[in-house]
Amino acid sequence: MNNIELIILVVLSLGILAYVLGKFNAKLGTVVTILGSFFVLITLGYYGFVMDPQGLDMTSNLFPSITYGFTYLGLFFGVIVAFTFSMVSFFNPFFVDKYKFSAAYSMLYLFSLAGTVGVFFTNDLRFLFFFFELVVWTSLFLIPMGDSKKAASWYYGFSALGSFSLLFAVLLIFKATGNFNVASIGTVDQYNVAIFFLLIIAAFAKLGAFPLHIWLPKVLTNSPDPITALFSGGLEKLGAFVAVLGLVKLAPVGTMISLNGYINMTTASYFIAILGSMTIVFGTLMAIRQDDAKTLLAYSSMSNGGYILVALAMMNSTALAGGLYHVIAHALASTGAFLAIAAVKHYTGTTKMKELGGMIHKMPITYLVYLIAIISMAGIPPMGGFISKWLIFQSVIDKGLIFVAIATFFGSIGSFLYVFRPLAALFLGQELPQHREKTKEAPILMLIPMLIITVLNIYTGVIPNFILGKINLVISELGLSPLELGVTDIVGLNGTLNPALISGMFGIGVAIAFVIFILLKKSKKVGLMDTYTAGNFVYTEALLHYSLDFYAPLERLYEKQINIMSNFYNSVANKVREFGAFMKYFFFSNKPEITVFFIMTIVIFLLWGDVL
Amino acid sequence: MILLGVLVAFGGFVLQTSMGGVNRKIIARLQKRYGPKWYQEFLDIFKLLSKRATSHGWIFDFGVIMALGGIIATAMFMPVSNNIIAFPGYDNFFIFVYLIAVGMLGMAMSASGSGNPLASIGVMRALTTMLAYEVPFMVIVLTIIKLSKSSSLSAIALSQQAGGDFNWFIIALPLGGVVAFISLLGMLGKKPFETYIAPAELASGPMVEYGGKQLGMLFIMHEITVFIEVALFVHLFLGGAENLLIFLVKYFLVYAIANLVSNVFGRFKIDQVVVFFYKWILPLAIIQAVIALYLGWVI
Repeated sequence: MNNIELIILVVLSLGILAYVLGKFNAKLGTVVTILGSFFVLITLGYYGFVMDPQGLDMTSNLFPSITYGFTYLGLFFGVIVAFTFSMVSFFNPFFVDKYKFSAAYSMLYLFSLAGTVGVFFTNDLRFLFFFFELVVWTSLFLIPMGDSKKAASWYYGFSALGSFSLLFAVLLIFKATGNFNVASIGTVDQYNVAIFFLLIIAAFAKLGAFPLHIWLPKVLTNSPDPITALFSGGLEKLGAFVAVLGLVKLAPVGTMISLNGYINMTTASYFIAILGSMTIVFGTLMAIRQDDAKTLLAYSSMSNGGYILVALAMMNSTALAGGLYHVIAHALASTGAFLAIAAVKHYTGTTKMKELGGMIHKMPITYLVYLIAIISMAGIPPMGGFISKWLIFQSVIDKGLIFVAIATFFGSIGSFLYVFRPLAALFLGQELPQHREKTKEAPILMLIPMLIITVLNIYTGVIPNFILGKINLVISELGLSPLELGVTDIVGLNGTLNPALISGMFGIGVAIAFVIFILLKKSKKVGLMDTYTAGNFVYTEALLHYSLDFYAPLERLYEKQINIMSNFYNSVANKVREFGAFMKYFFFSNKPEITVFFIMTIVIFLLWGDVL
Repeated sequence: MILLGVLVAFGGFVLQTSMGGVNRKIIARLQKRYGPKWYQEFLDIFKLLSKRATSHGWIFDFGVIMALGGIIATAMFMPVSNNIIAFPGYDNFFIFVYLIAVGMLGMAMSASGSGNPLASIGVMRALTTMLAYEVPFMVIVLTIIKLSKSSSLSAIALSQQAGGDFNWFIIALPLGGVVAFISLLGMLGKKPFETYIAPAELASGPMVEYGGKQLGMLFIMHEITVFIEVALFVHLFLGGAENLLIFLVKYFLVYAIANLVSNVFGRFKIDQVVVFFYKWILPLAIIQAVIALYLGWVI
């Protein structure tokens, strides 16, 4: 079962099976999604990484026109996305009952998995576009099953922009090189600038980067909870894949900028790095002021997408390793965080932080999953996010990119602020009475993927060298020198990091603190309401729970500026609507004055032609 | 190695606790008081550790352990002088910024876990202050790392010592020195920026619910944190230290000056802290970085 075509076909037919079974029993259909996504994960992981790199069979027997080719890059992304799909699939049985088209849900889930596998493994740009569209269209119908149908139209608008750009880029590449092979991107010698910007628009639209970010929070807030996790951890990464094609595979565009030996980037790459920085800053600022935990994490996904773009734009092996490692670290962290929030929603029915509090007392394991996920998301050791951010900082500093550095530092410190918010307001604080009865620890089927992700979050932070070794294969394939790795050391551009040492010392520190704690007198346990209230008598939990507008003083500083981009897109939408009404009035109406107008025009043209 | 690291952490605690006491004395003399004995802070901590306290649940205790553990781990990597360093080559600057955050996160988690809104407000203010002072500081550190071609603290210190004592970055990058010193006041929670402690306003903010051993452990954590931050300044800007004595002198000077400066100020409101840093300090940091890197003007 190592043929990639067969894998895609099996997943597609499992999708149809899921639909048929889902018609009888919705839960049965979702079991097929678990099996299907695990099938892909195990085959790709086993044949791709464990056996040997060439273990995957790329021949296409049934549909010979769709050709496939092995790249380490495709395998790397394929394994990550298949992993996200298989982890999220455990949540499907708990949520599928709530959706109207539950059988179609399972089918579309597997179809979009087949689409992503196709995108990463095909070597023909036409079919890359086809599979890309398969993902867009299947996910398009998954989104409106959640809370809002409007989110799907935002997604459609931006995805259409991305898809058309990708299509034009494919056609221009064909015009420049004469074939549709993915590898031919590297040999493009004309229309470079146009191809570059078209690929970048496609990548930005899929990754949700500034200025094409508006859809991301809307979709991630309103789509079904498992699909939210899927988008953030998996489907968004398609954008990163396209960005690699445009930023790394394509020959550099623009003139070289060099200031006193610093920067050393082409104008186009520098421009992308600046856009990536703006993505980081806007994502961070918006995430800080959200009240809905899902929206908050959605903006954090946007901000982390910015890190990936900055890293890819810098185009050296340290930055590229950092960017690719950030793809893994963020996929793990955000999937973990979204799944933990989904588990909370399963019992409480809401993700609004002002309506939640003290979940830790009923859901301690979910809390730990969320805690470790956000430690990684904020880039704090000993979790995976620290390794990738460290590598990215290394190259930002090495190139002396002051303004990009400000954005990356700001995003990194800002992430402490926003990830702490759900921790404090949703999990900690007073235990609110309205959820006390119905909440309990998540069921075992939900805990399995969350715990796997948690273990991997720690693993990627403590022993990153195995995965970095695999990333080195990708980097060599892209034509850069691989990152220097020791047994546990990572050699950066201006320093050496030993994650295992840091984690070990952290363990020792905690052990010392624990011994001090245990040796001293035992504390008396008191309730949460037994607190200092400055002399007031308070008996209502909600009055002692600080959760709404957590960062109010900070938010007030920029609250006037937050709607600029969405106002811009709304006015663009208005203009498009006006233009459509205008066209409709002239060409698609049977009003008498229009008919007269056209007759007059034709007559004038005829007379004019006769005279001249 | 590990033993030396633990010794550095313990030594940092002892050093900073005595320095804290001495400085209380200095401030008292400034205000025409006698002030407490120099070992008063030790007495306070040991008294707290010996008392029986209340606990608000497992996260309240776990957070305290995580906070102290994270800070001890950070201090273990700190070089003291050229010879006293537990893990040579691994004293990367980013470890100090990010590993310290584990401790901070533990404390914030524990404080929020107490269920007191004042604690949550204190944590909010502490994180907001962090967002304000950290970015300008990191921009200056970027310049330093680029100029000395290493992000290892001891290597940065050695590169300053190599060119004589007046090659210190506080002299080579004067604007950067000002930025970093003001950021240091923010890090230490000294007066214009002590918004998150604000005893009269927030009942000591994050600390409001603590007593007994938990408070004692957080005091120890705070002392080690101050040690890390001041030692960071000494290594980045004052050329590190050839031996222990020079380190102690430099350490005392930085901490005493920070204390004296902070005592003539009132307290900012939290939004004023953010505006101050982003309106005045960050542009200074950018100007320094641009003239040092892009124009190449370093004194």
